[in-house]
Amino acid sequence: MSQPKIPVDLILSKLAEDAEKVRIRTQKASDVLLEPLETEIATTPYEVVYEEDRVKLKHYQPVTEIQLKRPLLVVYALINRETMLDLQPGRSVVQTFLQEGIDLYMIDWGYPTRKDRYLTIDDHVNGYMDNIVNFILVKHGLDKINLMGICMGGTFSVIYSAHHPEKIKNLITTVTPTNFDTDQGLLHIWMKGIDADQITDTYGNIPGDIMNLGFLLLNPARLMLDKYVGFFENIDNKKFVENFIRMEKWIFDSPDVPGETFRQFIRDCYQKNLLIQSKMEVGGKRVDLKKITMPLLNYYGKYDHLVPPEACELLTSRVGSKDAEDVCLETGHIGIYVSSKCQKEFAPRIARWLKVRDDDKKKRGTKKETPKKKAAKKIPQKATSTLKTKKINK
Amino acid sequence: MNDKQKDEIGPETVFADWMETTSAFWKSMAAMWTNATGSPEKTAPSKDDSKNRIQESWEIAFKTWKTFAAAMSGPDSMETHFKGINTLPAILMNMAKTSWEGFFELHQQWIEKAGKVGESTKAFKLESLDEDAFRMWTELYGKEFSQILNIPQIGLMRFYQERMYRFMDKYNIFQTKMAKFMHLLYLPVEKSFKVMQERLTELAEEEKLPDDSKTYYQMWIKALEGNYMTFFQSPEYTQTMHQTLDSLAEFSASKKEFLQDMLSIIPVPTQQEMDELYKEIYLLKKKVNVLEKEKANQYPKSEI
Repeated sequence: MSQPKIPVDLILSKLAEDAEKVRIRTQKASDVLLEPLETEIATTPYEVVYEEDRVKLKHYQPVTEIQLKRPLLVVYALINRETMLDLQPGRSVVQTFLQEGIDLYMIDWGYPTRKDRYLTIDDHVNGYMDNIVNFILVKHGLDKINLMGICMGGTFSVIYSAHHPEKIKNLITTVTPTNFDTDQGLLHIWMKGIDADQITDTYGNIPGDIMNLGFLLLNPARLMLDKYVGFFENIDNKKFVENFIRMEKWIFDSPDVPGETFRQFIRDCYQKNLLIQSKMEVGGKRVDLKKITMPLLNYYGKYDHLVPPEACELLTSRVGSKDAEDVCLETGHIGIYVSSKCQKEFAPRIARWLKVRDDDKKKRGTKKETPKKKAAKKIPQKATSTLKTKKINK
Repeated sequence: MNDKQKDEIGPETVFADWMETTSAFWKSMAAMWTNATGSPEKTAPSKDDSKNRIQESWEIAFKTWKTFAAAMSGPDSMETHFKGINTLPAILMNMAKTSWEGFFELHQQWIEKAGKVGESTKAFKLESLDEDAFRMWTELYGKEFSQILNIPQIGLMRFYQERMYRFMDKYNIFQTKMAKFMHLLYLPVEKSFKVMQERLTELAEEEKLPDDSKTYYQMWIKALEGNYMTFFQSPEYTQTMHQTLDSLAEFSASKKEFLQDMLSIIPVPTQQEMDELYKEIYLLKKKVNVLEKEKANQYPKSEI
């Protein structure tokens, strides 16, 4: 057996080059880090128009003529903060919606304190959310508004739409878990065996830092190591550093989750998978998905490790709506909102979808399809590589 | 001092003298009392019965004492009595001895237990320390140390002691579980290095070794990510993670109980008291909201 040839000389010279690059980069990094950086997030102007306990309703100032009759209410999850939708100029779902002429409202769930530990899903959905929807309806003199939910906020929106279908004109769910009986995502595997009672009874509210640690452990190689290696490799790039710090600001801004809400979410959703079976009860009332008869647009990410496609895609086939559509983007859980490649495929498409469905009298020209054609089909668009839609017409 | 003198000042003599002196004292006290209030023989029966009763009680008590003292002062009785007294230290010694022996035995048992540490885990081999170390320690702790912290406490402070020992016990258990969890988390890193070594050998044999350090890093991080993804789905990891979380919750709960004991001695409300208050406020608010909605439905805005 011949001795393998190892290019030791090449490796060493490359290492020397790298060392020199690191030295220069470190010098530049100190300049970048010491000069003023623009790392503010959620800078789009808004007004708080409604407040109840810790919950606030943000109303964004329109930047163009309002093109939709009905405003859009965005409901974020109780985990992390809604500031993710307005992370930075040019990568802001909020700004895109405003530019599209949408009258935009967004719920800020605030920071739960110990006294909020007894708040249930019912308190959030049929309490805060319903009060907010009523407030908007009265303010605009309307009978229905458009509703969009994000992640757990999407689950809340599904429950709300099933309980109050008369108040919702169109429903948009994004990365929304509704089918929890899947082994695709680690979160689903881990949550099945977790003792929700013990955790809730011990902590009262579930500490945001503990949950964040759990999310980091979903992929420690990338989230705890490679991410920071990438940061040091680009530490001399001001724009990169600014964006990186914005993301860090958002990702570790984690409010605690009210204990009783966590308990029910884990037990009824992750462990018993009641929602998708229309067996879940909220406030003593069953959540019957067949009562969701308004148009539904369901977005999810193909590479979402938190809420995998399998957790999202069943919804459209279980609701009572005759106009339900799945859209799968080739991205992850957060990438759907913040990645530059999704900026054109996400918010603008939602705006178009809403505009078509805004007026009751307008005909949408959707044809009934045979069951065979209900299967996923690719929409002929420029960005077909990242977009996959499935329209369910019943 | 001769033997006779010794006998004279023996305990019997001292006791008899004390009896006599005490009797004399109380006799003079009784006489003084009688003089002050009037002797029953000399005074005609008074209508003031209460005074007589006190006097009678006093005299009866004194007579009883005199009788008792006389009886006790008798040589036979004294001897019997002092025999009893002399046996007292022996009884006390016996009691102390028994208690000490009991304690000593207990202490011996603990020492023996400490000496036997490791015997209950003989099934494990020290050669495979990496795999078995945490299992050994968990079993060892549960069988040997935890038992001591869980000995039932007695007395007025028992609840406080129990909570303190529980807190210590749960802390130790949490540390053990955490150590095991951290050890498991490191396994994919270890495996990724092995994978890298194998891969590098292959590349070297194929003479395709990359000259860029970044490529090596990318190869390693990819291997590490893959290892974690596979490992995180294993029942072993999931079980250990849940055990760690459970032990953390138990430790937090015991810490809270222990701290609440501390807090109860200073004038601040405990978390439990605040939680009770929060619940009341929560339920009241809910009731008010329901009533508000009912009222709004009953009397539409135009009617109010």
